[in-house]
Amino acid sequence: MNPLLTSAVAGLTAGGTYALLGVCAVFTYRLVAVVNFTGAAIGTAGTFVLIALFEVGFPIWPSVLAGIAAGTATGVAIGYIMTRWFGEASASTKAAVTVALLVGLIAVGLRLTGGQHPHNMPELFPGSAFRLAGVEVTIASVLTIGLAVLFTILSDLFLNRTKVGLNLRALADRPMAAELLGVRVQLLSLLVWGMTGAFTTFALMIIAPQRSPNFMTLSLLVVPALAAALIGVFRSFWRTLAGGIALGIVEGLASSIDSVSQYRSAIPFLVVLAVLLWSQREARWDEAR
Amino acid sequence: MSRLVVSNLSINRAELPVVTSVDLVAESGAISVVLGANGAGKTTLLEGLSGVIPVAGGTIAIDGRELQKARPGARSREGLAHVEQGRTVFRQLTTEENLRVSLHPSADIAEAYALFPELVQRRAVKASLLSGGEQQMLVIARALLTRPKVLLIDEMSAGLAPVIVTRLMTAVRKLADDGLAVVLVEQFAALALSIGNRAYVMRRGRVVYDGDCAKLRQSPDELHRLYLGEAESAVPA
Repeated sequence: MNPLLTSAVAGLTAGGTYALLGVCAVFTYRLVAVVNFTGAAIGTAGTFVLIALFEVGFPIWPSVLAGIAAGTATGVAIGYIMTRWFGEASASTKAAVTVALLVGLIAVGLRLTGGQHPHNMPELFPGSAFRLAGVEVTIASVLTIGLAVLFTILSDLFLNRTKVGLNLRALADRPMAAELLGVRVQLLSLLVWGMTGAFTTFALMIIAPQRSPNFMTLSLLVVPALAAALIGVFRSFWRTLAGGIALGIVEGLASSIDSVSQYRSAIPFLVVLAVLLWSQREARWDEAR
Repeated sequence: MSRLVVSNLSINRAELPVVTSVDLVAESGAISVVLGANGAGKTTLLEGLSGVIPVAGGTIAIDGRELQKARPGARSREGLAHVEQGRTVFRQLTTEENLRVSLHPSADIAEAYALFPELVQRRAVKASLLSGGEQQMLVIARALLTRPKVLLIDEMSAGLAPVIVTRLMTAVRKLADDGLAVVLVEQFAALALSIGNRAYVMRRGRVVYDGDCAKLRQSPDELHRLYLGEAESAVPA
C-alpha cells in the first residue's frame, strides 16, 4: 500500500470540510458582500450544542438536529448584526467586524465549554465507505465531499434558476437599488446567513472527532476555508470546492513527510500568500497595460 | 387616482439641514418637476421620500397613508418607485433579469418592452454592457414593473446625448399620461418644464417657487432669478 496515497486519502475528510466552509464563505461574500471570518465559529457553536446534549445523555440524532438549529440561529444572529448595523459599511469594515465577532465568539465559547477541557464528541458516521487503490475511504470523507458538492450544485441552481436566487444576485450587486424595488433585503440576507450556518454546522459535526474538539481549534478552521475561497477568487463555487479538497489532500500528504509534518498547519497560510502574490502580479500586469 | 403629499419635510445630512420645510404634491397623470442648482437639495429630497436616508421631520403620504417611518422596501410596496441618479442597473444581471427582479405579480415584462422597444434586442445582454441611454431606459422600465403609483426620477438626462434625453422625456410623459404621478428632478430646466405640469424650484434646501410649468417656461428671467436667489418670496400666495 502506498503510504503517500494513504495520507492523501486521509486528507479527504478535512478537504471536504474546507471545501464546504469555503463554498459557504463564497456564498456569503457573493450574496451579502461580507468576507465572513465567523463562518467556522458559527458551525462550532452548533457543534458544541450537540456535544453538550450528547454528554448529558440525549440521543444522538435529536441532538444533531438541535445543534444544526443552534448553528442556524447563531448564523442568523450574526447576520442580523451585519445587516442591521453594518449593511451600508464598506467591505473592509464588514470584514473587520466579523473578525471582532470571531474573537468575541471564541472568548465566550471557550468560557462556556471549559476551555481546552476534553469533550466526548460522538462520531456521527464511523467506518469505511469503500476501498480506493487499497486505501480505506471513510464515510466521513465521502459525506463531507458529497455535502460540499451538493451545496455547490444547489448554490448554482438556486442562484440561477429561482426568483429568490435572482433577487439575491440583485441584492449582492446593489443592495439599495434592490430594496428600492421592494426586494425584502433583510429577510433574504438572514436567509443566506441561516443557510450557511446550517451547512457549516453539519460539516463541523462530521470533522470534529478528527480534530481537537475545542472551540478555538474548530473556529479557526475558517483559515483554510478562506484560503479555499481565495483560490476561487471569492467568485467561483467550483474552483473553491476543488481548492478546498486539494488543500485537504496536501495537508494529508504533508503529515506523512516527517520533515514538513510539523509545519502542515501553515499550509493554508502559504496558499493565501501564494494566491495574493499571484493576484498582485496580475494587477501589476493590468496596470502596465 | 393617486396622490403623493409631502408636508413640511425636513432632511439632514451629517446633522446639517439640507432640505427644510418642503411641501410638494404629485398627482396621477401629472409630472411635478423639481428644479434647482447643484446643491439645492433635490436629490436629498428624493432620497428622503423613498427612504434611502431618514427624514428629520414632516410627513410623506400616498393616498393618505403615511410612509415617512417605513423602510425603502415597504415604501416601494406601497407604490413609491425611485429611479436613482447614476443609472443603478444590476450590472451582473442581463436586461431581462433586471426586469424580473422588480416584476410585480400583476405586471408583465412586455410592458417594459412596449415602453422601450430598444431593449428587446438587448434582453440577454449583461446590463453593464448596455449604453448609457439603454441603462437609463432599463432602470425606468424596471421601476415601472413594480406597479408604482408614484415614480420619482432623479437626473435621468445626466451624461446622455440630447436625442436620448428627448426620447426619455417622451417616455416619461407617456407614463404620466397613462396615470402615473411623476416627480422629476432635472438639471435641463427647459426640457423638463416642456413636459411637466407643476414646477418646484429649490434653493438651499427650500422651495422658492411652486407653480405652473408653462408659466415658468415663458419666464426664463424669473427662473434665472430663482436659481440665483434674487426672488426669495416668489412662492405664489
